[in-house]
Amino acid sequence: MATRAEAGLVQPVVAGWLDRARSRPGLLFAGLVVVLSAALVLGVGFGTVSIAPVDTLGILVHRLLGLNLGGHWTAAAETIVFEIRLPRVLSAMVVGVGLSVAGATFQGLLRNPLADPYVLGTASGAALGAAIGILIPIRIALFEFGLVQLFAFIGALLAVGVVYRISRTGALSPLTGLLLTGYAVGSLLAAGLALTMYVSGTNLRQIFFFLLGGFDGSSWLQLAGTAPLILGGSVLIMLRAGPLNGFLLGEETAGNLGVDVRRERVILLGLGSLVTAAAVSVAGLVGFVGLVVPHLVRLVVGPNARRVLPISALLGASLMVGADLLARVLGEIPVGVVTAVIGAPFFLVLLRQTRSAYEL
Amino acid sequence: MTAALAFDGVSAAYRARDVLVDVSFLIEPGERVAIIGPNGAGKSSLLRAMTGSLRPRAGSVRLGGDPLAHLDRQAIARRLSVVPQAAALPYAARVEEVVGLGRLPHEDPLRGQRPVDRIVVAAAIERVGIGALVGRDVRELSLGERQLVLIALALAQAAPLMALDEPTVHLDLRHQVETMELLVDLNERDGTTIVAVLHDLGLAGHFFPRLILLDQGAIVADGPPDDVLADGRIRQVYGVDPAFVRRSGPLVPA
Amino acid sequence: MSRRPTLSRLGSLAAAAAMILAACSTGASSSFTYGPSLPVPSAAPGGSKAASLAPVSPSPAATFPLTLTDDAHGVVVLPKQPRHIVSLTPATTETLFAIGAGDRLVADGDFDDYPAEVKDLPHVATYSSVDVEKIVGLGADLVIAGGNGFNKPDAISRLKGLGIPVLVVYAPDVAGVLSDIRLIGDAVGNGSQARALTTSMQAGIDSVKAATAGLPQPRTFYEIDATKDIYGPAPDSFLAQEIQYAGGNPITTGDPAIFSIPLEKLVAADPQVIVLGDSAYGMTAAVVAARPGWKTMTAVRSGAIEPIDDLVVSRPGPRLVEGLRLLAMAIHPDLVLPPYGSPGPSASPVASPSGSALP
Repeated sequence: MATRAEAGLVQPVVAGWLDRARSRPGLLFAGLVVVLSAALVLGVGFGTVSIAPVDTLGILVHRLLGLNLGGHWTAAAETIVFEIRLPRVLSAMVVGVGLSVAGATFQGLLRNPLADPYVLGTASGAALGAAIGILIPIRIALFEFGLVQLFAFIGALLAVGVVYRISRTGALSPLTGLLLTGYAVGSLLAAGLALTMYVSGTNLRQIFFFLLGGFDGSSWLQLAGTAPLILGGSVLIMLRAGPLNGFLLGEETAGNLGVDVRRERVILLGLGSLVTAAAVSVAGLVGFVGLVVPHLVRLVVGPNARRVLPISALLGASLMVGADLLARVLGEIPVGVVTAVIGAPFFLVLLRQTRSAYEL
Repeated sequence: MTAALAFDGVSAAYRARDVLVDVSFLIEPGERVAIIGPNGAGKSSLLRAMTGSLRPRAGSVRLGGDPLAHLDRQAIARRLSVVPQAAALPYAARVEEVVGLGRLPHEDPLRGQRPVDRIVVAAAIERVGIGALVGRDVRELSLGERQLVLIALALAQAAPLMALDEPTVHLDLRHQVETMELLVDLNERDGTTIVAVLHDLGLAGHFFPRLILLDQGAIVADGPPDDVLADGRIRQVYGVDPAFVRRSGPLVPA
Repeated sequence: MSRRPTLSRLGSLAAAAAMILAACSTGASSSFTYGPSLPVPSAAPGGSKAASLAPVSPSPAATFPLTLTDDAHGVVVLPKQPRHIVSLTPATTETLFAIGAGDRLVADGDFDDYPAEVKDLPHVATYSSVDVEKIVGLGADLVIAGGNGFNKPDAISRLKGLGIPVLVVYAPDVAGVLSDIRLIGDAVGNGSQARALTTSMQAGIDSVKAATAGLPQPRTFYEIDATKDIYGPAPDSFLAQEIQYAGGNPITTGDPAIFSIPLEKLVAADPQVIVLGDSAYGMTAAVVAARPGWKTMTAVRSGAIEPIDDLVVSRPGPRLVEGLRLLAMAIHPDLVLPPYGSPGPSASPVASPSGSALP
């Protein structure tokens, strides 16, 4: 630790900060609550149309609490704040929570720091499902979700289900089997997606939109349909932080530490996949957050899932809300691009600071 | 007095291969026992039958008086801690965090560790003598240090019975002896019942008052080292000149 | 170890998709409205579009409130004549100006480049998204969006969910372009101007057809892009139909859902004329002739490789006739066409009262 002679001026500062964050996780948690609140306020307060903060506040108080503070704003402003920005910001928050918690779950369960919520075929399954949904010329809607979102949700779950079933039959250890089967099934589904895209004709563009991801379609009804799944699933995962910790030392040791390995593996995989599938059906394939947020949090607060899960949830939510705000203000750039642009440099700095021995 | 561990006519098989054949023994609380035998004799299977991860096809295993089959994973983990031969170590984890995992069977499922858990963890670290390693990343540790961390983890589990799978296999001579001395100390001072699978007959004979010798899944001998390590038996079970065994070990039974 | 196979693979697919899209949108993106599509069964070639106007009074003097059925079978209710119109496709923007409604346009898309007035309008649609918030902020009372995935469907349904009327237009063929112009005209209350425009356009189209009737029909390949794969018109697409009207025999991809054609197939089809829709991107006859495998084609050997302004040809808007005439002259260099409403279509009897006519 003292051998950081080559380090610049920032390094000791950041390293000291990291140590403090690790020994005082409550402080970090509180800090992130503030960051998330700030992100939510900014997310609702800013957009391509400028609305006075007083009016924004007045609209929120009026619509949420039923109080009239006597402000005067246009109907358009009210629609923008309450029907467009608020559900969109909350969707971004919920998806950020879901992807980070699912990512932390898969990384812990699979003992793989490079796992993300999509590692078991969820992404390819969702993408193929969405592509098929786009090609089927039927319009139905449930909670303002069309066939595309429904198929994405079902595709994601089916893909994980298939991966899980196949991986159980092999001679490999369960986790290696899952990773490799996930790779194989994911590749197969990606090939299916490529074929679907090739024959999709003019629908190609819609499939492409789904692959980019984003929060354009967010509405209260969509949020009502998915937030319970995502947040409920995330809470259930957090309640299983103990068993998830057991997996840190491998499945055999987890069993010796009192974890019912088979049951917990199925429950955690199932919950993680459900949360991911719901998040993907809202936002399409937003990458980066689910991989990097839990990884980064683990570097800062250590491997204990009781800290990693809630802190990842807060950081993921803040990052997603902030990224969506930037994406909107900068002219509707795909949100996945923004998350990567904001998150990657931060991640690289932390990687340089960490005292963790990196062997994968 | 209830036996800490009892095997009663246990037979088990992996796929078609028999790995344990009618194994019976009793270990009383406070005993220190080494399980020895050549490769493939069934030592690891015996350990796995103890933890419940290998289910016997006949016979029963009792842990602290209760049949293993009637205990759930958490109850087992409260009665038996296991030091694996080599555990996969998590990334970005510090020594005290890994040792803390030993409190898993005692944790409050919602709130996690309470102050009492932290005291137990600190005591385990102190007892094993790795206080200087606190704050270090476990992946930066030497193999000997990792072994001590895993023993501290098992100690934090606060189970009356501790099982170890080849605890000295990756260690140099000094660390082998230190680990053995630690086990003896834990056994004699704290009363922890210890069952260790050992490869090294010299270490087993020197540090353990009772040895159980396995061959082809069955118990060949069970008793004090002088008896179990008799020349005829070594020649019969290992198929080598007993002199080699004595010379290969660092310490020969007196 | 590469442990994130799925996403990286999807990433490369997305990149591939982006390339294809970029390739297909060399005509400033509106070319994405080529090809028949599953969701629009009423768009059968031959102008059965009239059916989609059924609920509307065919009278040019439509009165508000008004109920229309758009090209995506959506029912659009307009309580009063729209005064704040948002256009999300370049063709719609051109149409609005050509029928004299350009002054009511409050926002358009990033690609919109014609007429010159659009430069000053706020842009609310990019290639991949629609700024719903800004549209609401501008107080839009009618949004005209591109169907068949041209504008992000999520955004369209979002706008509708907010109670903003959204008219979705999608023209799979030449007749569809004309009926869309009438549909837009009805929606904005300029039905008579729209009908006068389409009558004049129909006359222009007929004159091109008449001029090329009886001429030999050379096998014609319209190159959309050939940077990597070779992209050309799908069979029965808008572009293939234009080539026919212009007196050519279109070489197509052979499948309505596929936009690219393998080189082998193109060599076997042996184009007699190659039209370079990608000339705006620097493609030239010399580059084409130097491509490996292309020199056996009749068009390459005879030098019948013609650059063209793809924006005018492939955009399903009021300048369609101009594009058709360019295409006819590219295919038949000696063709003499009768004059068409010079200098442009908007100089026809329906020049807009607001003075926002096309130059």
